[in-house]
Amino acid sequence: MPAFGRWLPFAYAVAGAAGITAAIGLVQSHASVSGLSTLYLLLVLWLGATWGRWPAVAASICAFLFYDFFFVPPVGTFTVAGPSELIELIVLLAVALVTGQLAGSLRRAQGESESMASQSRALYELATVALKAPEVTNALNLLCGRALAINGVTRFALASAAAGRWEALAGGDLGPEEMKQAAWAFETGRTVGALMSGGTLKLVRSRPPSPAYVPMAGGVAIFEVDPGAIDDEDMRMLAALIGLAGLLLDRRRAVAEAERARGLEASDRLKAAVLSSLSHELKSPIASLRAGLTALNAPRAGLSPDQNELLVDMDRQASRLDRMVGDMLVLSRLEAGVELDTEPHSFVELVAGALRQLRPQLAGHEVRAEVGSDLPPVQVDELQAGRVLANLLENASEWATPGSSITVGARARDKFLEAWVENEGTSIAPVDLEHVFETFWSRRAGGSGLGLAICKRVVEAHGGTIRAENMRRGPRFTFTLPLARVRASI
Amino acid sequence: MGGRVLVVDDEVEMQRALRAGLGYHDFDVRAVGTGEEAIREAAGWRPDVVLLDLGLPGMDGFQTLARLRPATRAAVIVVSVMPGEKDKVRALDAGADDYVVKPFGTEELVARIRAVLRRQADLSSGEPVVRSGDLEIDLARRAVTVGSRPVKLTPTEYELLRYLALHAGKPVTHTTLLRQVWGEYAVGDKYNTRYVVAQIRKKLGDDPANPRYIVNEPGVGYRLEA
Repeated sequence: MPAFGRWLPFAYAVAGAAGITAAIGLVQSHASVSGLSTLYLLLVLWLGATWGRWPAVAASICAFLFYDFFFVPPVGTFTVAGPSELIELIVLLAVALVTGQLAGSLRRAQGESESMASQSRALYELATVALKAPEVTNALNLLCGRALAINGVTRFALASAAAGRWEALAGGDLGPEEMKQAAWAFETGRTVGALMSGGTLKLVRSRPPSPAYVPMAGGVAIFEVDPGAIDDEDMRMLAALIGLAGLLLDRRRAVAEAERARGLEASDRLKAAVLSSLSHELKSPIASLRAGLTALNAPRAGLSPDQNELLVDMDRQASRLDRMVGDMLVLSRLEAGVELDTEPHSFVELVAGALRQLRPQLAGHEVRAEVGSDLPPVQVDELQAGRVLANLLENASEWATPGSSITVGARARDKFLEAWVENEGTSIAPVDLEHVFETFWSRRAGGSGLGLAICKRVVEAHGGTIRAENMRRGPRFTFTLPLARVRASI
Repeated sequence: MGGRVLVVDDEVEMQRALRAGLGYHDFDVRAVGTGEEAIREAAGWRPDVVLLDLGLPGMDGFQTLARLRPATRAAVIVVSVMPGEKDKVRALDAGADDYVVKPFGTEELVARIRAVLRRQADLSSGEPVVRSGDLEIDLARRAVTVGSRPVKLTPTEYELLRYLALHAGKPVTHTTLLRQVWGEYAVGDKYNTRYVVAQIRKKLGDDPANPRYIVNEPGVGYRLEA
């Protein structure tokens, strides 16, 4: 406000008091009217409400002096004759002070709310722009710029850690010492050089002036402020900007995490696709190999029994290779997290399917199915659960004493079906019992070591468990599968 | 017996192996490498069976099957390396008669080819009685007997068994069964067909752990043993 403007209210006070005095004089010259001195109150109230206390006080003093001089007897002197004049003066002064005080606080409150409104509008605009910006870094730069526009803020930067390394994100570079300090503040969660609590920020003065560090969820804000040049309002703005920076850094972290997750998912998909295509490439030559080898086995091909035997051996090896490639694909798909297509299924039918599939391998054994037809249905992926049974039966057929019997059994227990496959023959060494389900663990040199690992994965994907134990006559594999909620037997 | 077999496979080694192997079993074999050639041969040479590989270059197996089906009465056996169950169902619903998973042995393939040929012969003979072991389904009289014991089935059970009997030896998908037995707009799931099959098995005295008549095709549907 220019000097002229500052004195304007006082000029009004003097001029107003003089004008009212003249008006009272004019009225008094025509008729005697009492209580006209209250007209001065109007002036005092107006000045107090508009410019505050001091112009009002000046007006009340002027009013008193003029009134006393022109109207209070003895007229023409400043003498105060009686107590009533003194009371009038005191009332005028009191009114001036009280109205000035009231009006002043009202104006201050209004001014404050206006500045808060403009501050929050600025923050809102910044937040909108910042959150809309596709690149969080751009938003952070915008925010740093806004912070540096505050009077007294000489520096404002943001830093965060990526893969263990600290880097400045926006607002300029940091020295190595500053990086260390920022990392310390972040790790301990302590604010350095300032106090921040519940949205208010207080500076801690230091000599020589050093930057303040405020840790947030996704990084650290580093700033330097000249304590003499910043007012309370701007401190609030700074605190709000730091809060907004916290939100933006959080968003940046979330974006980075989402990208990483997408990357992992893509690499899983890629792995599955590569394995699928690789298995396809491996299986095609095996298919031609088997078709050719078995073609020559026809009696019309005219080979000798020795040659035929050789061909059968070769075909058996080709089949084994085929199974191993298939097992590897199945296992890798399970590891990539295959989705189960579960439905209520009759366990008996699953057993029937596995027995049918393994009919050639099981030809030398008697298979006893101790599975009641009244078993409740299981909630499983038909193909995967069938694979468990087939792998366990195949395993049993390989280890069973020739001509001995293989038993498949099941019973309902609570919310699960407990099933087992048992064969007669060599038991598993006790130390190996817990290793049989590991990938590539095999009891015999020719095994792929994948069959039982697949069983474990499938059973566990269904929420069940599998274990191996030695019974009196041979090993038994027991596993559980969830029962379906449908109770009717199918 | 024999018959004409058209092999559609892009691998020359496979073509040669099948020409030799099926030839030793008295089949007359021709082999082509693409879908376009298959359609041409099917129309001109009139094979009894087409062995169609799904993984053909260019026009793939499914496209070929779609063009082949209206043009020929030949039985189509779909051949594929690692087919998903969805592929099997899709091929069967698109009119394939059976599927064989690669790699396979010649004996197994010959058995499948003979089965589809036998089915075709049965169908064209118009014989009203379908047999599966000692199970007899008399389509003309709607009568079902096991041994000589008559079996009483509900209309739904009979419809399902009749449809399987009409396609004896061929895997029939759950979707097809649902549509055939419950109507074109049947809403329901595989649970329905499973339930009805369980009931039929019970009435036929079939052991679900080792069924003689109706066999499960895991992930696909059911098949009546021919």
